[in-house]
Amino acid sequence: MLRRLILDSAYTLQTSKTYQARKRFFYNLLENDQYKYKKYIDILMITLIFISVGVLIREVKHPVNDYLLYFSNYVVSIVFFIEYLFRLWVHSSVSEVIVKRSEHDSFLGCEVRLSKAFQEVFRIKLNYMLSVRAIIDLLAILPFFHELRLLRTFILFRVFKLFRYAKSFQTLAGVLATKKFEFITLSMFASIVIFVSSVLIYVMEANNPSSPVNTLFEAVYWSIVTISTVGYGDVTPVTPEGRIVAMIVITSGIAVLAFTTSLVVSAFTEKLDEIKEVKNIEDITKLRNYYLICGYESIAKELARKLAKSSHKIIVLDEDARRVASARHDGYIAMHYSPGSIESYEKLQIDISKQVKAVLCLREDDVENVYTALTIRSIDKEVFILSLLMKDSNRKKLEFAGINHIVYPQELVGLITKELVGKPAAFEVIHQFRSEYTNVDIDEIMLTPRIVQNFPTIGDLHNKRYKVIILGVSKGNSDKFYFNPIDSTLLETGDYLLVVGYKAFIAEFETSLHAKVFDV
Amino acid sequence: MSNTTAMIFGLNKYALEIESNVKSRYDSVKIYAFEGQKVSGKSIQTEKFDLSDDWLSIEESIDVENSIAFCVLEDSAENIFLTISLRAHFKDLIIIAIASNNESANKLKMSGANKVIPIVETTADIIANVLEKPISNRVLHSILYEESDLKIEQVRVSDASYFHDKMIADIDWSRYKGIVILSVMHEDMSHEFIYASKLNSHIIKEGDILVVVGFEYDIVQFKKHIGSL
Repeated sequence: MLRRLILDSAYTLQTSKTYQARKRFFYNLLENDQYKYKKYIDILMITLIFISVGVLIREVKHPVNDYLLYFSNYVVSIVFFIEYLFRLWVHSSVSEVIVKRSEHDSFLGCEVRLSKAFQEVFRIKLNYMLSVRAIIDLLAILPFFHELRLLRTFILFRVFKLFRYAKSFQTLAGVLATKKFEFITLSMFASIVIFVSSVLIYVMEANNPSSPVNTLFEAVYWSIVTISTVGYGDVTPVTPEGRIVAMIVITSGIAVLAFTTSLVVSAFTEKLDEIKEVKNIEDITKLRNYYLICGYESIAKELARKLAKSSHKIIVLDEDARRVASARHDGYIAMHYSPGSIESYEKLQIDISKQVKAVLCLREDDVENVYTALTIRSIDKEVFILSLLMKDSNRKKLEFAGINHIVYPQELVGLITKELVGKPAAFEVIHQFRSEYTNVDIDEIMLTPRIVQNFPTIGDLHNKRYKVIILGVSKGNSDKFYFNPIDSTLLETGDYLLVVGYKAFIAEFETSLHAKVFDV
Repeated sequence: MSNTTAMIFGLNKYALEIESNVKSRYDSVKIYAFEGQKVSGKSIQTEKFDLSDDWLSIEESIDVENSIAFCVLEDSAENIFLTISLRAHFKDLIIIAIASNNESANKLKMSGANKVIPIVETTADIIANVLEKPISNRVLHSILYEESDLKIEQVRVSDASYFHDKMIADIDWSRYKGIVILSVMHEDMSHEFIYASKLNSHIIKEGDILVVVGFEYDIVQFKKHIGSL
């Protein structure tokens, strides 16, 4: 009966969307650095830690308000305890282990051995509880029993919890961990020197009445103080033999210090690029609605500048280290990854459908652009892809690769010269609308329900008042463009007005459309 | 009788594209190439030149005043040198040059080019427009390159009485008789947007050139009214 109940409960929890969604929510909140609300929990916990430590420091020599003590000892401890339980809960799934065991045993045709499942659960949870982080979490709760004076000092363990919330501490630990072997070797060397010198100094000095070294503890203390190059001077050898030992320890101390420093520096130097890359990847995963520029050559460089000027977000991918460096130098997030490799997008955790506004294949090489476009299309069928075309004979290949818009600079030059020799003034006017360096602009204004409600027809817009020309209306539902519409033309939500005029006047006109109009 | 010629200096993909786009407008199109210069897979008739030429042969064979020169050499320094030497020799020749970037564009202008097309900036402008203003880009492209019934025209005012001596500021230029009037061109080919404050007190007179957008029929009607036809 109980077995049945446990199994049913496990299956229910395992298949319950609500339960799983809640568990995932708490997991994200506590463990997922990419989750946007996690930082708020981290900030809250860090604040509680500092309040606790602040109270502890204040308490040493000054009276502390009872409410504050109560808060530090009980409220903070309870919050940490709840956090501990949540972490224990989200670390692994009990129901999943039971379900797996049940299916495993059923498959083998034997009775479900729940004891085995519970053993497994116990092992997994115990593994977590014995991890350094979990132990620190547990110790941070102990000040709850603050009547025991010793346990009060456990408040300081709350400081160690900072490691959990501050990413830089984790990075530091990660960097130092890469030199684990070297640090162990160094520690062994230092330990041997400390041990040998402690014994030697004890043997040489302990029987001398004028020597401050009387016990082995004092010898070890002297040895550590000396080898660390701190040298307090409260304990010093007085015999010639002791001083010889001191000289050896001091020399060794310099070596230990230099070796330690060089280890830390080299660990950081080796890891610096990796740290920066991890940081960049984290930044990228948080970004939304950005342009992905694949290849950073001259046109890409100029386009990036224009897009950045218009406050668009851009990410540059290029397999050439020099071009990546150039993009970084220009102030963009640039990653040294091949835009034509699916692996790149997996490593960078780029979700094209959710994060990318458009992919811009801007290598001045058709082969590379086709390759990149096909890679992108194999990941996402819908995203807008724009590509440069360098040889007209490759146009069909680019179209076949699923590129939505092709820009062929050579053709542009031809068309521009045709217009320049035929209608120079007309060309200049259109060029003026497109150029960022002039005051006259053409803008697209999307009509919201509010605008349509206030201005149902073209005539109601009174654009002349704002010295702007309405070139036409693009109907949102049919994608048709109605040039120079008559005053009675009805406007609909989702339509776009194409407005020509001075930038300042267009802005004023647009503002007037969004404002509530009572009397037109 | 004038004989118009388009001279294209340089033999490359840009030269061929320009040739195909301008040949209908000129009596002849000549491509000038360096000795030994070729375009792979194509046999193109070219005239030979080098940068040390004194341009006497061109002066003798071409009606320079009614001709145009396109400087499309791929090497920026050579293109600038070519432009400056053409300008030094032919004061009134219209020179259009292509530049790989803004820096070269400025130097080409200083060298005397009437118009410079900075390829990188222009391409980036077009792409930025495609991304930021897709509708306006589509419309402008179709107007400029006549991919739709809409056209952009320069119309010379021959009968200013149509405007009844009104000042520009007093006329509603938006939705004007089926066409949209965008700007007024000055004699020096510079132009002002129709709502520019400089034009406020300007009374339309004969000889003014208006840049208009509209359907062909409406533009023709407008031209009739102002005596342009």
